[in-house]
Amino acid sequence: MKNKRYNLLLIVGVTLLALWSLVPTWKEYSLGKQLEAFSSPRDSLNFVLNHRDEIEDARQKGLKLGLDLKGGMHLVMEVDQIDLFMQKAWNRDAKFDAIMEEVGRQAAATDADVIDLVSAAFRKQNIRLSRYFYDIRNSDSEIQGKLRKEAADALVRAREIIRNRIDQYGVAEPMITTQGNRKIIIELPGISDENRMRNLLKGTAKLEFRLLREKGALQRTLDAINTALSAPSSSGSSNDAANNGLYSFVQVYGSDNAAVRAENRELASDMLKRPEALSQLPPDSELLLAARADEADDGSRLYSLYLVRKTPELTGGVITEAKATFGSQGVQPEVLMSMNSEGTSKWARITGANIGKRIAIVLDGAVYSAPVVQSKIPNGNSVINGIQSLEEAKDLEIVLKAGALPAPVRIVEERTVGPSLGADYIRAGLQSLIWGFSAVVVFMIFYYRQGGLAADVALVLNVLIVLSVLAGFNASLSLPGIAGIVLTMGMAVDANVLIYERIREELAAGRSITSALSEGYDRAFSSILDSHVTTLAAAFLLYTYGIGPIQGFAVTLMIGTAASLFTAIVVTREIFRLLVSKNLMSSKSFG
Amino acid sequence: MRIFSNTSIDFLGRRKIAYAISLLLLLTGLVSLAVRGLNYGIDFRGGSEVVLRFEQDVPVGELRSVMRDAGVSGTIKQYGMDRSFLLSTVFNGDTNELKSLISGALNSHLKGNPFEIVRIDAVGPSIASDLKWSAFKAMGAALLAILIYVGIRFELKFAAAGVVAIFHDVLIVLGLFSLLGGVFEVMPLEMDQSIIAAFLTIAGYSITDTVVVYDRIRENIRNRKPSEYEQIFNESMNRTLSRTIITSCTTLLTVLVLFIFAGPAIRAFAFAVFAGILVGTYSSVFVAAPLAFEWIKRSKAPVKLRGSQKA
Repeated sequence: MKNKRYNLLLIVGVTLLALWSLVPTWKEYSLGKQLEAFSSPRDSLNFVLNHRDEIEDARQKGLKLGLDLKGGMHLVMEVDQIDLFMQKAWNRDAKFDAIMEEVGRQAAATDADVIDLVSAAFRKQNIRLSRYFYDIRNSDSEIQGKLRKEAADALVRAREIIRNRIDQYGVAEPMITTQGNRKIIIELPGISDENRMRNLLKGTAKLEFRLLREKGALQRTLDAINTALSAPSSSGSSNDAANNGLYSFVQVYGSDNAAVRAENRELASDMLKRPEALSQLPPDSELLLAARADEADDGSRLYSLYLVRKTPELTGGVITEAKATFGSQGVQPEVLMSMNSEGTSKWARITGANIGKRIAIVLDGAVYSAPVVQSKIPNGNSVINGIQSLEEAKDLEIVLKAGALPAPVRIVEERTVGPSLGADYIRAGLQSLIWGFSAVVVFMIFYYRQGGLAADVALVLNVLIVLSVLAGFNASLSLPGIAGIVLTMGMAVDANVLIYERIREELAAGRSITSALSEGYDRAFSSILDSHVTTLAAAFLLYTYGIGPIQGFAVTLMIGTAASLFTAIVVTREIFRLLVSKNLMSSKSFG
Repeated sequence: MRIFSNTSIDFLGRRKIAYAISLLLLLTGLVSLAVRGLNYGIDFRGGSEVVLRFEQDVPVGELRSVMRDAGVSGTIKQYGMDRSFLLSTVFNGDTNELKSLISGALNSHLKGNPFEIVRIDAVGPSIASDLKWSAFKAMGAALLAILIYVGIRFELKFAAAGVVAIFHDVLIVLGLFSLLGGVFEVMPLEMDQSIIAAFLTIAGYSITDTVVVYDRIRENIRNRKPSEYEQIFNESMNRTLSRTIITSCTTLLTVLVLFIFAGPAIRAFAFAVFAGILVGTYSSVFVAAPLAFEWIKRSKAPVKLRGSQKA
């Protein structure tokens, strides 16, 4: 019986290991309890300061709670590859734009590979990719390869920039990973201001300095667009409002100013994007709206319209430092920026050559301000104003410092759980654990007596192992994970049920308890193995193809099932061996 | 205590009745699937869901009219917690906009009753199609893996009958979801990711039950003549019946606990698993083993189960 001592050692070892890896979790819990016990904030602060290392260590090694239990945001963001590829194309024309727009629609509805969609669309039109991308001598597959690399680079860069933004905003333990070739998964536990977080994440932060067109150009262009849009359209217009022309939404006042009322903003900007309107623009020009509405004398809110050059004079790549502050009057928040040496010399040249003209500061396609150049600026400083709050200025500082995203990034999936619901989930999870455990334990003892007791001991060890593996591998426990544990408790005793039923049969056939025990274990083993392998396979596939919350369920189910192979077989057998050797078992032990 | 000891039920003799019951259940489900379809959750159709919790109770009708006046499209239902409502609407990439629309409407119309947005889920259309595809892949891969494993451990006919039983179980639960979808206010029974998890759990459970019966058949069938197969099958099923019922009981107990205590997010999952375990227990005895029996009876050749020769 060499095996005997070996098994006993193994059981003790596993139990100790499981307990040991749960020590930090226990510590974290008890430290938290002590913290709660303090009445004054000063006491608790002192406590935290005195036990800082201990708390930090416990928090790092303890069992982590998932976003749903702790409250937080789970976001999936998608890099707009269509936009990225459009940036890379070198002689875009209307046909190209039309094809890409169509591909964009397809890409939004499916999860298909964008490069495949693009290639297919161009092949259908019988156009080689090289007409628009890279070198004319490249074959389609070479270009696909290059675009793929471009997309992969963009994804990595986007992830780094988003990480920068989140780090600078200050979130404890964010998790940022990429998935596939265009998705970024972001997990942010315990966010207090989710609105701000969303705003912070979604902007491209593409900063441009663009010259305004000469005086009078804005008025002339708007006139032309108004006439073009008022003309009865050949297609038979479906939109009556559009036929009233642009001037029903856009007011021109003064010599060189135009604005849109806040309520008409969407409508006007849609109108200005129509082909009839775009064709009336002077070459290398673009109409942009202000980022922020101004309050007019009559109390209405107006967005200014600017006619700017399409080609920027300078872009945000030269910005090295940004700082949110209050302006000279001390009330208006603004962001001061400084540039690198290349940007500084360019900026000096641009401002020097355009004194008296206006330069628009454009962030993500919206004009923040368009100051008149008073003099040459030699030191590479510039400023963004027209910002509403200091908070927004701070966020701008963050995104400018982190740099611009290579392409726009959109939120395509979001799961946010508020802290109060998280607390509810924890309560619900604990209740399920306690009741599920009690139900199984009582049932087993009721049905199998001593045998049931042994199975219950094994069950405790099983749950301990699941929790300790989660803590040891830094995985987090979520509500579906708890559901997995509860369900596993019901299924893990299956191995014992198989064995005990077998033992009962052997006892009924007249065997002694010792031989019934060994026959029962031996004969039930192949059933147990087969049934566990199939359950494990299903759980594993669930883990592979599922996402987030479902993976949590699959993980606990897998660990629990695998652990029950050990606990339900080795542990209970060892218990019986011990009991038999002490003459504590009889043929009545299994009910 | 013993409930099912020394039974000698003629399972195979009653298999025609069992087939009829199974077919009836399957057909009902399939008709419902064709007529009523399934209630897809946002995981698979895309969309946004917001759970609102109020300090005092609000009649759902009042909430609906407030939201309609504010221009928030979509449906509002009671959520399975106190004073809570679930608003589901189309996906738009800007959650902040949706939130401010909701907050604006509620703050002006239900002033004395503060509320909290406790949960937001938003799933874009591309993600939804991705998730749907993943669900299919997971189910397909699970069935294939089970077919191969059981095929290797026993024999292909047994494996195929086991997989048919899984299909049977999952389809009946799916039919149940279609039939009861939207019937209960607190439990809409929508198809989402957690239901896929439930299906895979059911598949694992169903084959576990089946394999235990098979295992006993393998043990008993050694060196016996094909004419005795019917008796062997019946005997094996009777011998494992107790285990089958007891394990179902413990598992059903825990699933019931989940259903009652784990809250609305888990309720549909628990419901699916509960139904699946009932059907799965039934199918291991009345579908999988009888089908395997029919097949080997027709193939005439004596069955050679792997592993039955040794020991």
